[in-house]
Amino acid sequence: MKKIVFSLFVASALFQSCSSDDDGGQTSQVEAPTTYTFLRDGNSSVSYSGQTTRILMAEELVAGLKVETNTEETLDAMFAHIEGASDFSDADLNASDKSVRSKVAASTDFFSANTTEANEIKADFDGWIASQVNDVFPNWSFTAAAGEAGALQQAGGGTTRYLNEKGLEYNQAFAKGLIGGLMVDQILNNYLSPAVLDAGTNIADNDSEVLEEGKTYTSMEHKWDEAFGYLYGNEADAANPVLDVDQFLSEYLDRVEADEDFAGIASKIYNAFILGRAAIVANNYTVRDAQAEIIKENISVIPAVRAVYYLQSGKNNLGIDNASAFHALSEAYGFIYSLQFTRQPNSNSPYLTKTEVDAYLEELMEGNGFWDVTTNTLDEISDEISAKFGFTTEEASN
Amino acid sequence: MIKKIFLAVITLTFIVACSSSSSSDDSPSVSPDNFDRGALLTNLADNIIIPAYQDLSEKLTTLTADKDAFIADANQTNLDNLRASWLEAYKVWQHVEMFNIGKAEELTYSFQMNIYPVSTTDVEANISAGNADLTHVNNNDAVGFPAVDYMLYGVADSDAAILTKYEDDKYKAYLSDLVNQMESLTETVLTDWTSSYRATFVSSTSNTVTSSLNKFVNDYIFYFEKSLRANKFGIPGGVFSTDPLPEKVEAFYNQEVSKTLALEALAAFQNTLNGTYYSASATGESFKTYLTELERTDLSTLLNTRIDAARAKVNLLDDNFYSQVNSDNVKMTEAYDALQLVVVSLKVDMLQAFNVSVDYVDADGD
Repeated sequence: MKKIVFSLFVASALFQSCSSDDDGGQTSQVEAPTTYTFLRDGNSSVSYSGQTTRILMAEELVAGLKVETNTEETLDAMFAHIEGASDFSDADLNASDKSVRSKVAASTDFFSANTTEANEIKADFDGWIASQVNDVFPNWSFTAAAGEAGALQQAGGGTTRYLNEKGLEYNQAFAKGLIGGLMVDQILNNYLSPAVLDAGTNIADNDSEVLEEGKTYTSMEHKWDEAFGYLYGNEADAANPVLDVDQFLSEYLDRVEADEDFAGIASKIYNAFILGRAAIVANNYTVRDAQAEIIKENISVIPAVRAVYYLQSGKNNLGIDNASAFHALSEAYGFIYSLQFTRQPNSNSPYLTKTEVDAYLEELMEGNGFWDVTTNTLDEISDEISAKFGFTTEEASN
Repeated sequence: MIKKIFLAVITLTFIVACSSSSSSDDSPSVSPDNFDRGALLTNLADNIIIPAYQDLSEKLTTLTADKDAFIADANQTNLDNLRASWLEAYKVWQHVEMFNIGKAEELTYSFQMNIYPVSTTDVEANISAGNADLTHVNNNDAVGFPAVDYMLYGVADSDAAILTKYEDDKYKAYLSDLVNQMESLTETVLTDWTSSYRATFVSSTSNTVTSSLNKFVNDYIFYFEKSLRANKFGIPGGVFSTDPLPEKVEAFYNQEVSKTLALEALAAFQNTLNGTYYSASATGESFKTYLTELERTDLSTLLNTRIDAARAKVNLLDDNFYSQVNSDNVKMTEAYDALQLVVVSLKVDMLQAFNVSVDYVDADGD
């Protein structure tokens, strides 16, 4: 079913791109393949192994946040991996020179001239690790209550959630915050940015097919692929993405796609990636940048919809099943955190500023945090976020 | 996909409902039909729900007495008696678990009575700590019938070894607290029905998300989907996991009665559908007669046919579902599939006929 929808979209995208001549007049020159498959002399010119590596590192780190015997040093080392260190269960990850932490809040557009904020953001992630180890792990076998960290089980013998003294699950804040801080920021504000795509001699090199040394791709092609990789990097076959193959952007694009109010978003994003990549091959940077804007708008919607969805599902369980409620609110916390990395198309601004995001998070953590947050607060934040993105709380939460 | 079809159907229903309203009289009734919902609710309360609770209460009184005798003298005879009365009460429990409304909903009664698999880690921790708060949400999987199942069959390998366990006063205390709590909770729910809630229940006849019938029918269908279909069959049969999980059957430690309990539950469910009295074969107003009023006897017949077909599949299973899953899980998943057909008829067709919306969503699982 999903495949049919995909191919219909591709067909219609092609049709539109061929018949419309009011977007620069160059669109018709770019013919997009139906899948993200690009060859040079019979070999694939697509490469994003570094993104796959970071997704897998992040998976292990997030799992490690729920192993109460882990030390802060162990987890910090997984976060800021150094080549050759035995931080992971996967030998390939240990051998890699990549690290997750180095790419958090590290985009060219947002942070190259704002290392102060970048450092604050990295410190947030470091702090969640530290607090998980120092405040939550020691209380793993105690029952959580207002003002006391510990364990709380979902009603009816459900999953046990491990909470800080305000009801927040640090592992959720970390995982959902990373969707923004790593994936969204790197895709939207780094690799899709002309500042990165066109850096140095990239345009001239791409125009005359000067390849990276020993590689099958131009530098610009590779940058675009790296953006692609932060969303599709864990797919078995990127020509037929099935989504929900990692617990970060892939999973939550799948969730948003499953909400009928947002159905179609997955193919919009995938098709824009294809057409943009084809435009690079065709040296048509106007079409390329138009696709980048489509991707920015649609990927930005993902954390926003999920933030509102979890605020509302948390609200519905408050006081009835607090472990379920706080779990949802912890996810919402991380998704709200991610909103500072979103990108309004054709602008240099996120949909919500860091200041706005910090204010919401502070509001959620006031007093005893989730233990005494009101439904009014949750509704207000939901409605304000929804309004910023142009959907309704109802659409995001049903 | 189903959700989409369902929405389309609902939308269509609305259109039909709206377009036909012009020709009807100007009564302010929100009910889309002339069926006497009050009579249905009254039959449910007086002839099915309250009698079932009364019987459960009696069975738990017996269980408590047998427990007291066992605590006083932990011998084999008293253990056998206690086990027998546990099973009798557990069978009757299958008749009330679907009524998660009123005080039962408020207390999360079923979460304190029948969450399995039991967490033996939590049970043993509670035993050794003493004075556990049995109502705390963390103990939902350490109380009720499944916890007693463990206490009577699972704390040691043989009856002799089990009896030895009860030389420890802490085991006696926990068993006693568990049974007393089950009896006390049931008494609270029953008393609420007989003293005040019955009147509230039968008089709430409108068609709104909070009215008795809408809530009841949602709870009824959710029960079938989750507690009967998924918990008793789907989860142990591995429908929701990579591999079967035989240790998740109901009454795992007893090992002989999971089928008995499942058949009891299926019978109770069908009786409620058809308005059959708890303690007699007489029938009254019911979902079935409601469907008749709506000229949908085809659907009530289909529901009964599908429930009967599911029962036939369940009857092919071993008394011990744990052995069944291990020896031939295909029979288990076939029973599940037959039950799933009932879910479709209930959740889509019956709710559509009643013009009632679903008030629950499937958890998104993360």
